[in-house]
Amino acid sequence: MDSSNDEALDIIITNVVATFRTRCHLNLRTIALEGINVIYKPDMGKVLMKLRKPKITASIWSSGKIICTGATSEDDAKVGARRLARTLQKLGFKVRFSAFKVVNVLAVCSMPFAIRLIDFTKKNRPIASYEPELHPAATYRIKHIKATIQVFSTGSITVTGPNVQNVASAVEQVYPLLFECQKPRCK
Amino acid sequence: MPRPALSCPGCGSSNIVDDALYAQAQLVCVDCGSVVSEGALVDDPVGGSAVSYSWSTAVDKKPCANLIKGLQRVKALCRSLRVHGEIENLSQTNYRQAYQHESFIKVSLQKKEVLAGCCVLVSCRLLNWPITMGTISCLLDADPMVVGAVYQEMVKILNITAPIVNVTDVMEAHSQEYKICSPQVPEEFAANSKDLTKRAVALVELAADSWIITGRRPVPIMMAAIYLAWQSLQPTKHRLKFSLDKFCQIAKVNKHKAALKRITEIKEVLCKLGREIPWVREAVTPDNVVRQVEDILQHRYALLRRALRTHEEALLEECQASCEDSPTDDTAPSEISEPVAQTKNSSSAEQCEPNAERAKRSGDGDADPCTALELHGDTQESQVPATNWGKRMLFAPPCVIHPKKRRMEQPELKDVTGDEEISDSEIDSYIRTPQEARDFALVQKMLSASESEKS
Repeated sequence: MDSSNDEALDIIITNVVATFRTRCHLNLRTIALEGINVIYKPDMGKVLMKLRKPKITASIWSSGKIICTGATSEDDAKVGARRLARTLQKLGFKVRFSAFKVVNVLAVCSMPFAIRLIDFTKKNRPIASYEPELHPAATYRIKHIKATIQVFSTGSITVTGPNVQNVASAVEQVYPLLFECQKPRCK
Repeated sequence: MPRPALSCPGCGSSNIVDDALYAQAQLVCVDCGSVVSEGALVDDPVGGSAVSYSWSTAVDKKPCANLIKGLQRVKALCRSLRVHGEIENLSQTNYRQAYQHESFIKVSLQKKEVLAGCCVLVSCRLLNWPITMGTISCLLDADPMVVGAVYQEMVKILNITAPIVNVTDVMEAHSQEYKICSPQVPEEFAANSKDLTKRAVALVELAADSWIITGRRPVPIMMAAIYLAWQSLQPTKHRLKFSLDKFCQIAKVNKHKAALKRITEIKEVLCKLGREIPWVREAVTPDNVVRQVEDILQHRYALLRRALRTHEEALLEECQASCEDSPTDDTAPSEISEPVAQTKNSSSAEQCEPNAERAKRSGDGDADPCTALELHGDTQESQVPATNWGKRMLFAPPCVIHPKKRRMEQPELKDVTGDEEISDSEIDSYIRTPQEARDFALVQKMLSASESEKS
């Protein structure tokens, strides 16, 4: 369906969340003391470490499980995670980078037309749900690729899915449905 | 029979035998006769029987007292909203069904009350009685977020698809809440409720056309519409100076903060239309536009067409004046004459676009002000229709007019593979030197010491 348009739709990935394990126990107080850009949260039992180069924030637990958020691509997330593991290694922990997995990808896309949400919801019940008083967007969940799409009436959509491939196919799937319910933008 | 490994607490001997006295098992020391331990006299389970009274067939199961109270609450809500009998019956059925479900049977009484309100809401929606969630939250005196969450869960459990409420439908029901008729307030503030509703509905329709309603909560919009309608019915100096706060006080409704923003937005739209009125000499500003509201609403479709036409002409002139290429100059005059003649606005908007695109393509890559007008510093062409439709159109939602600045993508992103080498020097920038670490620890100690001194 994309090939029938004059312009390709720009899907901008805004956030990639990934997890990995270090296979060793981590002493959070040492990390807080010897690491720069580190915030210690003893009440939550974790340490927040922010990297500069791929702009990533990592939550580090003492069990060795680490969640990295804020990357803009899957490869970026991997580089950031490895940099983090390297930093922990240098701090003296016997880190082994393992079980790296991208858990969530958030992308934003803008349609070149506005959308009639009430029409869209009526045509796609029960996959789509819209409660205007609670949230201004209609939610469309595609079960088999585990993607959730939030459709706004201005034409912007946000897509969350387990990886970039799923997000792209979700946008492809939903585009014809949105095209049917478009609203002319003047007025 | 002697029991091994037991000693009598009285004499210390290990000669202890099993001796049952009247069917009660006992361990007795042979030498001194004291009882070391004894079994239970009765074999009943501790704390009552294994089968509770309510589960046994001893008594007929009575309906839960809270369920009955809940049903009465549903009835009370329906009565206070003055809905008809069908809605009351449907909401009671729904409540009974939802109450028995496992996700609602064990929640707090407060949530059960919210559930009652949600059942009334969904029944009203199914039977085409316009009502907003805001009204229900007010009636229940509950957090709108909680009401929303319970509503969504209930709809999922009961598998109901309720039609969506239109703001214009709810307007009438909402305006009944405002006590602004003659006997209730002094004569100078009174307004006929029919006129008030009619004007407020017209204002809401205007707001719907200009992207004010989409994505916003309905109650503040309705409040803003009623306030402006009330002011414009008799635009005396006193009424115009009357703030929203005081209006809500005399009408005996709770003020919503968002209503102030909506009032500003609706006034802006009214100004845009007010400028097109041919017989108004003075400049139309948000302060004096309320006087013109009656005329604006009466002729709003004609004014809307005029405003859109003027806006397109202004845009075409800007494009023309800033574009340097002659081919575009030849085509532009022919395009200007067309928008004036036509009433359909969609095609004229599209004509502005090919004009601009032609200018872009034939431009020599120098900073064309026409394209600068549209691109806002974005170099990606595919983003042009998305970012500039807010500037191109006369009415657009605020999120499009003031888009969030997206951080620019770094060019080195394309070369990242995920498996590159990471140099030591890079990593060292994230680790404190031992001296720094010692200083940091010292400072932390000093800070915590001074804090504990203060407290």
